[in-house]
Amino acid sequence: MDLFLQQTVNAFALGGTYALLALGLAVVFSIMGLINFAHGELMTISGYVLMYCGLAGLPFAISVALAISAAVVAAVLMERIAFRPVRNASGATMLVTSFAVAMILQVLFQNLISARSQAVLLPQFLSDSIRFGGLIIGINKIGAIVTTVVMLIFLDWFMKHQKAGIAMRASAEDFSVARLMGIRANTVIAGAFALSGLLAGVAAVLWVSQRASVDPLMGFTPVLKAFIAAILGGLGSLRGAVAGGFLLGAIEIYLAAFLPQELQEFRDPIGLCLVVIVLLFRPNGLIPSAALKAEKV
Amino acid sequence: MITSPRLQIFAAISAIVVGVVGAALIASMFGAAAERILTVFFITLVGVVGIGIYSGNSGILSFGHVAFMGIGAYVSALLTLPAQLKVATLPKLPDWLATTEMGLLPATVIAMGVTALVALLVGAAIGRLEGSAATISTLGLLIIVHGVIIGWRDVTRGAQSFFGVPRETGIWAAVIGVILALVLARLYRDSRSGLRLRAGRENAIAATAVGVNIPRERLISFVLAGAVMALAGALLGHFLGAFSPKKFFFNDTFLLLAMLIVGGMTTITGAVTGAVVITLVTEFLRRLEGGFSIAGFDVPSVFGTTQIGIGLIILYAMFRKADGLAGLKEWEERVFPKRPPSGSAPALQEVHVSDSLTASNMTMQFGGLVAVNDVSLTLTPGEILGLIGPNGSGKTTLLNMLSGVLRPSKGAAIRGQNKLNGVPAHKIVEHGIARTFQNIRLFPDLSVHQNVLVAALSTHGGEDADSRARAALARLNVAQLAGESAGTLSYGDQRRVEIARALACRPSLLFLDEPAAGMNRLETDALMDTLRGLTRDLGIGILLVDHDLTLINQLCDRIIVLNEGRLIAEGTPDDIRQDPAVIEAYLGRGKPGKKTKPKNRDEPGPATELAG
Repeated sequence: MDLFLQQTVNAFALGGTYALLALGLAVVFSIMGLINFAHGELMTISGYVLMYCGLAGLPFAISVALAISAAVVAAVLMERIAFRPVRNASGATMLVTSFAVAMILQVLFQNLISARSQAVLLPQFLSDSIRFGGLIIGINKIGAIVTTVVMLIFLDWFMKHQKAGIAMRASAEDFSVARLMGIRANTVIAGAFALSGLLAGVAAVLWVSQRASVDPLMGFTPVLKAFIAAILGGLGSLRGAVAGGFLLGAIEIYLAAFLPQELQEFRDPIGLCLVVIVLLFRPNGLIPSAALKAEKV
Repeated sequence: MITSPRLQIFAAISAIVVGVVGAALIASMFGAAAERILTVFFITLVGVVGIGIYSGNSGILSFGHVAFMGIGAYVSALLTLPAQLKVATLPKLPDWLATTEMGLLPATVIAMGVTALVALLVGAAIGRLEGSAATISTLGLLIIVHGVIIGWRDVTRGAQSFFGVPRETGIWAAVIGVILALVLARLYRDSRSGLRLRAGRENAIAATAVGVNIPRERLISFVLAGAVMALAGALLGHFLGAFSPKKFFFNDTFLLLAMLIVGGMTTITGAVTGAVVITLVTEFLRRLEGGFSIAGFDVPSVFGTTQIGIGLIILYAMFRKADGLAGLKEWEERVFPKRPPSGSAPALQEVHVSDSLTASNMTMQFGGLVAVNDVSLTLTPGEILGLIGPNGSGKTTLLNMLSGVLRPSKGAAIRGQNKLNGVPAHKIVEHGIARTFQNIRLFPDLSVHQNVLVAALSTHGGEDADSRARAALARLNVAQLAGESAGTLSYGDQRRVEIARALACRPSLLFLDEPAAGMNRLETDALMDTLRGLTRDLGIGILLVDHDLTLINQLCDRIIVLNEGRLIAEGTPDDIRQDPAVIEAYLGRGKPGKKTKPKNRDEPGPATELAG
């Protein structure tokens, strides 16, 4: 039972990170139909900023703030430079553009920083842990869960009560009508990217604080998982992204903990097969996006 | 059966054979290094067109097909690996496999078969997903297959290199492979299945309405693409001699997809263009990567020049030509465009069906909104029934229910003896019902001829499809536009092509949703003549929705009127014009205090009686 609870905490910590990343992907996808493969590189940028701040001896709070802002700025620049010219093109065109951007950034990291994994200096308290009865929970795990919850509450408030958030939701349901209502396309899209950068930055801080290292391909695997989480939840649906992230995190952690030893090597395939099975019953994801129904015949 | 002109197919295939064999001959003059580069290029090209068979025709980007390439490589290599080596390196193989040792050709064929079977299972499972969800699920496929290859150590040596594979892929094996793949891809593109699939890519709802079973066509192309990828994998495995699971993962997926999309996903011309451009750039940059000196300056070696270069090429191509360098048409379609058919067109056949369509108590609820409420109607071949009502009164929703696009919340539609409720949307047309759409739904990147032909091919088992298509085009006076892309036509022509497409299904009942919208008086008059002809000469029954009341009044035998989802009146045009409920629905009740029937405001009056 203790093992199960322990793993549940882990599942929430991992699932939360996936959820934040999946949300970042979903915000952009729901508005402009772009599946952004370069989302992982935003994470990597954050990771490197955290590393350099650590080397410069800045206080952790400031490092985190800088790391997250770097991701936001990078996301907005990415939109302005790479994605604006292909904004109205097909999904395939935008997707290929995004992986060209990802490829270029990865090579730049390898050349300008290092092809190898770099250690990130983190404050000592992150590696401490707390006892709850029989459970031993790392501060970094608690931090991840708390941060995720705070971010989700913030996002919910932002999307429901802020003008920019409401504009984004309107654009996600029907961009052309939203524009006719006077919503500026450039502003909404830049805002969506900034938000996705914010989420990627926070996810990067959580990710790095549990691994204490960063490498040029750092963002690739978690963002891949986030794609799957976004589909599992329902592509383009924000609540779906969160649900998909947590479900995927749970699947991975529980498989790692409870799958018999001889099947451990097949953990990823088994996990993904479970995802596919869920999708077979709910082809549009756990919580389908509202825009799916909007098509008029 | 191939649906495009013979000349185009002939030109395409000759160009493929001449080009590939010619390139191989030239390379053989430059020696072994050039031959190796060309062999790799040919194998890559097989992979690119393999993905193109599925992604290009269905419009769904697939990340998963490189996994099939991996399966093909491993299966074929397991069959060709010398038996002794197998016993030594893979001791846990089952006996029958350990003792098998065959040549490249049978091994490749078996690998393609096995992969096609896997693709069939996978395709059947993920075929229900749409759009980006389908794309990401193929990403899952790639990861799953990669994981299985790594995990299944007894058969695949896990993450380690799978070595000792006989290097049997020479330049001529690659030549045969690439010709096979290119010709297959080219033929599939214009086969019946390929054309239907492309129609589904352009507009799924319209394709379904003319009888295309999109999931089935997708599955066919998915499996075919899987087999071609297995061919690429088998050739690659026997070229390299040793490979690991990493070879069939993201790097190669991205490279192949980049080639396909940069060149133009929808054509073979595009696949070849993209593969050529990116291979040339890669080869050029790879030479620069080690550092070079220019005019006395030493440029230091930069790791990853190639990747950055490819990345920039992709960005440039996508910014400039979002549809790919080769655009949306094959080269031979540009050079030898289809000419409008000469000679007199065949006539459309008369309808010999007299079964009427009876809809009773049709109701459609969207959440709390009742868009159509308890409406009943009958439509018989040979008559024109008008369906009018203010905006938002439920006319289109009613059409959508009758044509299978929407499933009614309540009520039943019966054609002759058959209940239409449970019939899948793509089978409705087999019950003699064809339709057009309020917001035009053509297949914009297909030619006018193909738009109509695909409808003819997908109905009545494709019998006399060609003559039905020509007759329908001639009937609507759009035969001279046959070669144009449908998306480039004027608004009125698009409407006419849409009607022609519906007629090509040889329907006995035709639903037209605002056919005259956006037409001027002259065009509307011509349309009226055409529609009258359809009922008079051919005996087709028409359900006509329009806001042009002149058109409705002059054309219709009967009219039914909807308001706020309810049927408020039914009768001849004369009856309808005098009907107070209709006048009220269109013009309102008039000001209180004026002498026009003030009592209407207080009492239900005749309006509600009619509505009941």
